[in-house]
Amino acid sequence: MRPAGWLGLVVLALAVAPLALPPFFLQLLTEIAIVGLFATAFNLLMGFGGMVSFGHAAYFALGAYAPALLVKRAGVPLLLALPAAPVVAGAGALLFGFFIVRLSHTYFAMLSLAFAQIVFTVIFKWKALTGGDDGLLDVWPPPLLKSPAAYYYFTLAVVGVSVLALRAIVDSPFGYALRSVRENPRRARFIGIDVRRHQLVAFVISGAFSGLAGGLFAFYNGSVFPDFAYFTKSFEPLVVALLGGVQSFFGPLAGAFGFKILEWLVSRQWPVYWPLFLGTIVIVVIVLLPYGFVGLVGGRPWRTRPTTRG
Amino acid sequence: MADSTDHQGLILQTLGLRKHFGGIQAVNGVDLAVPPGDLRAIIGPNGAGKTTLFNLLSGDLTHDTGQVYFGGEEVSGLPPHRLCRRGLGRTFQITSIFRRLTALENVQTAFLSHHRRHYNLLVPARRLYRDEALALLERVGLREQAGKPSGILAHGDQRRLELAIALAGAPRLLLLDEPTAGMAPRERHEIMALVARIAGDTGLTVVFTEHDMDVVFAVARRITVLHQGVVLAEGTPAEVRANGDVQRVYLGQPAAP
Repeated sequence: MRPAGWLGLVVLALAVAPLALPPFFLQLLTEIAIVGLFATAFNLLMGFGGMVSFGHAAYFALGAYAPALLVKRAGVPLLLALPAAPVVAGAGALLFGFFIVRLSHTYFAMLSLAFAQIVFTVIFKWKALTGGDDGLLDVWPPPLLKSPAAYYYFTLAVVGVSVLALRAIVDSPFGYALRSVRENPRRARFIGIDVRRHQLVAFVISGAFSGLAGGLFAFYNGSVFPDFAYFTKSFEPLVVALLGGVQSFFGPLAGAFGFKILEWLVSRQWPVYWPLFLGTIVIVVIVLLPYGFVGLVGGRPWRTRPTTRG
Repeated sequence: MADSTDHQGLILQTLGLRKHFGGIQAVNGVDLAVPPGDLRAIIGPNGAGKTTLFNLLSGDLTHDTGQVYFGGEEVSGLPPHRLCRRGLGRTFQITSIFRRLTALENVQTAFLSHHRRHYNLLVPARRLYRDEALALLERVGLREQAGKPSGILAHGDQRRLELAIALAGAPRLLLLDEPTAGMAPRERHEIMALVARIAGDTGLTVVFTEHDMDVVFAVARRITVLHQGVVLAEGTPAEVRANGDVQRVYLGQPAAP
């Protein structure tokens, strides 16, 4: 199968990358993997559940702060602290998602954004716990994982397993039912699916994996800051998934790669003009490449064009 | 006619069902009694309250007053997914399918949900209930279309698919809201004959609305005539045809095409 061949090639290239690339590029690849996981988790909702969240930074930030606090305040080692990321982010997604899935479309998006701003405000104001605007510094992985190559491999492994898990979820009975909810909630109810509860479960899964991405990023970055929860961060997975292709499972990963490489190329020369450039790219992709970057290589990643409602 | 004490023997019963929208009394005190195995047509002019009644029976709308009994138990106010779990299936006047899924996936998903596997996150779904879904697609004449995205199927085939989706839930009671809407006359008879055959084979109770009187009188075992939100008449096709009120308000008019 064609996608399997592509996948093998990509995995091989990623595995040997540390032999050929200087540390800077390993860090760039590490960041791409983290953003790719964040966008893939986000796209479980958008691409497969038909739910557009404008507030996924909340779960990314909860996932970044939870292990960072454990390391800083309780001296827990990274490998024990990192699992707190998906747990705390998933709990947050359960709490907020309970209300958010009661709404649809624009209202869903706005309420998710509102909850994310609450998370931002709490992190920003609760100086005693979170350090407020100063963030939490010196959140580094243990010596064994501190080199760019070691943390690169570690991130790759965690992201790889997570992406495979998300893939399995998409292909599972749960994933089929989620797609049916996206396509036609009313019909889904009449095959016995509790639509809101299904959406909530998807929301929690998406939030937990977004949190794991946040946790990985905390140790990559060596510090965490309130703007991890700010709304501009919420648009990152949205833009990345759109660029890569929301119709395809691997679209967001491709989008993360394209996004970060372009950002690096452009910002290096003209840092001020990156947003202008990004805006142009987004417009070009939306107009010319409705399937995103993956539409360039994979033919039609989805089985059919999105059909209009009739 | 049934009274309030014998709803145990009925698969579906309503008592004094009322629903208004603003100043319009769409359903105005409907008593309905459907025994198991019935093939019941609900007819009436546009605006008689047929679709509203269906939406009340299926939990899509909540009625203002009255009761709905399903299989002898009161189900008033239960949401659609709960009613579905108790054995109620339905189709819609405007075709309601999962358009970007293939015909096979449409029916597979209905089977997965019926067998309560829809929270399973671990196993691949592709092969689950595949044979059952293909057999059901065969039954409604869509075996050849199984792999196609349902959104590109012909209108009549989409109607058949929706029927298959509803049947996958092994309902005891099937509500069909104008199952032949938009179909050619020959296809209408074909699909209703299919419904009648399936109902006969499985003991399924069917309640349907229909504008084509040829189809209604050919298929229905009993007919309920709705007019301005109330039951005007009820009986066998022959009784209803002979009913003077019905002729005056409904059958006397030129039948809808």
